Amino acid sequence: MAESKTPLLDELETGKWPSFVKEMKQAAEKNPMARDLLDQLELSYKDKIGHWKHGGIVGVKGYGSGVIGRYSDRPDLFPNVQAFHTLRVNHPTGWFYKTDALRNLCDVWDKHGSGLTNMHGSTGDAILLGTRTEHLQSCFDDLSDAGFDLGGSGSALRTPSACVGPGRCEWACIDSLDVCYNITMSYQDKIHRPMFPYKFKIKVAACSNDCVASIARSDLSIIGTWKGDIQIDQNEVLAYAPTIDIQKEVCDLCPTRCMEWNGKELKIYNEDCNRCMHCINLMPKALRPGKEKGATILIGGKAPILQGALLSWVIVPFMKLEPPYTELKDLIERIQDWWDENAKSRERLGELIKRLGMRVFLRAVGLPAVPQMVKAPRTNPYVFFWPEEIKKEVK
Amino acid sequence: MSENLKKHIVELFHEKSKGDKKMFYIRDVTKWLPDEDRHAIQDAVKELLDEEVLKYWSSGSSTYLILAEFFPKEEPCS
Ligand code: SF4
Ligand code: SF4
Repeated sequence: MAESKTPLLDELETGKWPSFVKEMKQAAEKNPMARDLLDQLELSYKDKIGHWKHGGIVGVKGYGSGVIGRYSDRPDLFPNVQAFHTLRVNHPTGWFYKTDALRNLCDVWDKHGSGLTNMHGSTGDAILLGTRTEHLQSCFDDLSDAGFDLGGSGSALRTPSACVGPGRCEWACIDSLDVCYNITMSYQDKIHRPMFPYKFKIKVAACSNDCVASIARSDLSIIGTWKGDIQIDQNEVLAYAPTIDIQKEVCDLCPTRCMEWNGKELKIYNEDCNRCMHCINLMPKALRPGKEKGATILIGGKAPILQGALLSWVIVPFMKLEPPYTELKDLIERIQDWWDENAKSRERLGELIKRLGMRVFLRAVGLPAVPQMVKAPRTNPYVFFWPEEIKKEVK
Repeated sequence: MSENLKKHIVELFHEKSKGDKKMFYIRDVTKWLPDEDRHAIQDAVKELLDEEVLKYWSSGSSTYLILAEFFPKEEPCS
């Protein structure tokens, strides 16, 4: 047998888990781009350095995002990946496809690209990996004919994403799918034509389980919640008693310790509940969210890049969310406008608020300061008032 | 849309592109014109992009603007 050209990559196939190397080899059998990609990756493992050149071409006609230009820095060795651009395709909200839609997508990609995909990138988009410059426009045209559009990249509003929400999940407090779709359609220009200081991400989770990890991954998180009392069915609570240790697993793990269990009846001091979903997750038959539904709006989340990671924090404890979502969209626009006006290039919203301060941010977007905004109670007791407010207090 | 503003922006791009640096952030452009409305500048830049006087250049994570004539040519396989 001929000696393998990719001994380092081959090792990755020997583990217990599915291997991307196996997939790439499969694609390489019929696609020369995938073949050169494998060989270039092997060289990267050997050299311990990436062999891609970043940046360049950004889109198709009329678009400034959705295409990420990538070029090999060794086109002499790997001519088939000389240009190997990524396309970000806006996924269907909640990632619901019919198989024929997926087949269409794959057919388009077999025709124009390497055949390799990444379902889904952490942006949410369907990522199509590797095509040549001259294929970009025709590939986009075929995608459009199949009903797809490109997503966001660069200094733009990134493709909004949402948890499956009411499509499949009984815990949904808001229609995350509709909110996400509405935002996506309203802000097409912001997605396709980058004009922001940097990226801006919006994610929608229909309850605080936050299955899209919006707190960690978006500048603006919209999270379903409720007002009023958790609905309790005491008979169903009793029915759980033989299978779970209600005291230990439910009450003792309630973050605010606002539950009492005497072996017969479960009591919740709802005024102290922070609606974390823990008890409902454990006893879904016995407990349901309260009846009045809405969303908490949080702000500032981001992954580490220029500065460290931030988790989103609350700016609106409760907002009713019903179409056409005017209150939400007005707020989003005020926030983006303030950020656009004040941020340095490549400064994310959370970083800007850290630099200029919450009180400046709140005044600019017209939100009242409320206790729920305290991000880390007890670690920083200082509250910065405006001078005129101090005078008011003293009088 | 003010044709004057567009003309002014293009002039500024030419002036600022005299050195090695050819790519600018939209924030740079709004800073060149502190007295103009930021939204008007953005709209003018969008039109210049449509007319392909300016082009977007993106690293994937951040987006720059560049005069079309300076847009890097694709390197042929060597
Ligand atoms: S975030 Fe909540 S509503 Fe959305 S899928 Fe997860 S558990 Fe269900
Ligand atoms: S939702 Fe969370 S905070 Fe509220 S009662 Fe249940 S466990 Fe406690």
